[in-house]
Amino acid sequence: MAESETPKGLRRATAMVGVGHSDWVGDHARVRAGGKPWDSVGLASVAFMKALEDGGVDPAEIDGLVVGPTTAYERMGEVLGLDVRWGAQADAMMGIQAACMAIHAGMASVVALVYGNDQRSGKVNYGGTNAAGGQSFLSYVYHAPWGFTSQGALYALMFRRYMHETGMSERDLGHVAVAQRIGSSLNPNALMQKRISLEEYLASDYVTEPLHLFDYCLINDGGVALIIASADRAQKFAKKPVYIHGLGRSDLNRRATSLEPRLTEFYLPAQRKAAAQSFGMAGIGPKDVSSLQVYDSFSPHIPLALEGYDYCGVGEAGKFMRESGIALGQKLPVNTSGGHLSESYMQGWNHQIEAVRQLRGECGARQVENCRFVHYTSDVAGKALSIIYGL
Amino acid sequence: MGHSSRVMGLLDKPMWESIGRKAWALQCCGQCGTFRYPPAPVCDDCRSFEAAWKPIGGEGTILSWVRFHKTYFDDHPAPYNCVAVRLDEGPIIVSNLVGDEPAGEWIGRRVRIEYRDAKDCALPVVRLTGKMP
Repeated sequence: MAESETPKGLRRATAMVGVGHSDWVGDHARVRAGGKPWDSVGLASVAFMKALEDGGVDPAEIDGLVVGPTTAYERMGEVLGLDVRWGAQADAMMGIQAACMAIHAGMASVVALVYGNDQRSGKVNYGGTNAAGGQSFLSYVYHAPWGFTSQGALYALMFRRYMHETGMSERDLGHVAVAQRIGSSLNPNALMQKRISLEEYLASDYVTEPLHLFDYCLINDGGVALIIASADRAQKFAKKPVYIHGLGRSDLNRRATSLEPRLTEFYLPAQRKAAAQSFGMAGIGPKDVSSLQVYDSFSPHIPLALEGYDYCGVGEAGKFMRESGIALGQKLPVNTSGGHLSESYMQGWNHQIEAVRQLRGECGARQVENCRFVHYTSDVAGKALSIIYGL
Repeated sequence: MGHSSRVMGLLDKPMWESIGRKAWALQCCGQCGTFRYPPAPVCDDCRSFEAAWKPIGGEGTILSWVRFHKTYFDDHPAPYNCVAVRLDEGPIIVSNLVGDEPAGEWIGRRVRIEYRDAKDCALPVVRLTGKMP
């Protein structure tokens, strides 16, 4: 990769200084009982207060604001009383990247990133008519005349082809759901507390075959807030800063609606470029990573990330999960909180909290020993993003 | 729930009109000859605005497939299949395989487009050709 494509400038330039979230478990129980404790703005507000408390951050210090895609930017700033000098509306991945760049450029020094989503009580549909996300991603709605919608179906189609090319089996994929339930069973903030076996996984219903129910993320109400500060400022907050050592991004937009980059490349070229950028910036490699956090709306994200970021060879993710292992205590603990499948579906936001807590050593029974670097990655709709967190 | 609906942008209209005539046409780049799907104002290969609508031959190869076990639309009760097909012209389409399903492997099987009468339009679906790849 060309020197100009591996910017070193953001290495350890920023740090996570506060993280917070709403009461996922309690709110989920209340919503399932027919209640609605909060709307999306309310959920984001609860998370914001928790993040301030966690980091000992005075709201007067916040001079940048990133608002997630599910609440209006101005209303969010209005409710939280934040007049800032820099702001953006973005998903978790692009929001963190933007915040780090804004801080590095001197446009802000302490940025709050807030997200709230009442998707469960609000009965948001991710498939069918008006499938959520269709405004931004044409592939989510374009094939509806043939009954083909839902992001799960897109991953099912991709994974079927991947199984054909690599020989990976449904049983191999089941290791993802099983491993993440081990993490969630040790996480009091996780919705799913009960472990499952591979046999239970294989016996579960298909949603869109070859994907089973346990391959799909949860749908729950919740909020997350993150506070990122410049490295200079990060030292003065309550907790040990968790630095962002590397960031990488690579898109596969071409022919996205006809599913070309999904079905012929499995998004791997984008992940490889994001890997080179982010590991290059951080000055580390996959072997230095203590835990991997992967955006897991569906479990196939995990084997693809293992290959895309060189944790194993191409076509070897099934073998890696079977023999080396991705559960706590195994070679590479992945989604130690339970992730979207078993902790909470916060669209990439909750994985950042887990990365921070693992590096701070706050994870109790699910703590990864000697946690030095945590790698987060997502490949949503072919936008590969990679973040290396460390102390 | 509700019925499935088509995305109908400016350039989707002529395509669906061709499907209505049971002669699915796609834009073919006037400069480099690349077919594109969905319809778009520019060729993503050579970035030329020149294009002509050309009927496709109607044959292709199954790249992947799924089976829906959950119903998302009133007009698509589960279970039903969807297939991704690489047209001989190049683009990948999503459709439904009608008629006999392959006994073994689906991927790599040759299919031919035919037209099914749907609620407010003809809908291109695919059927196995019987020819082995």
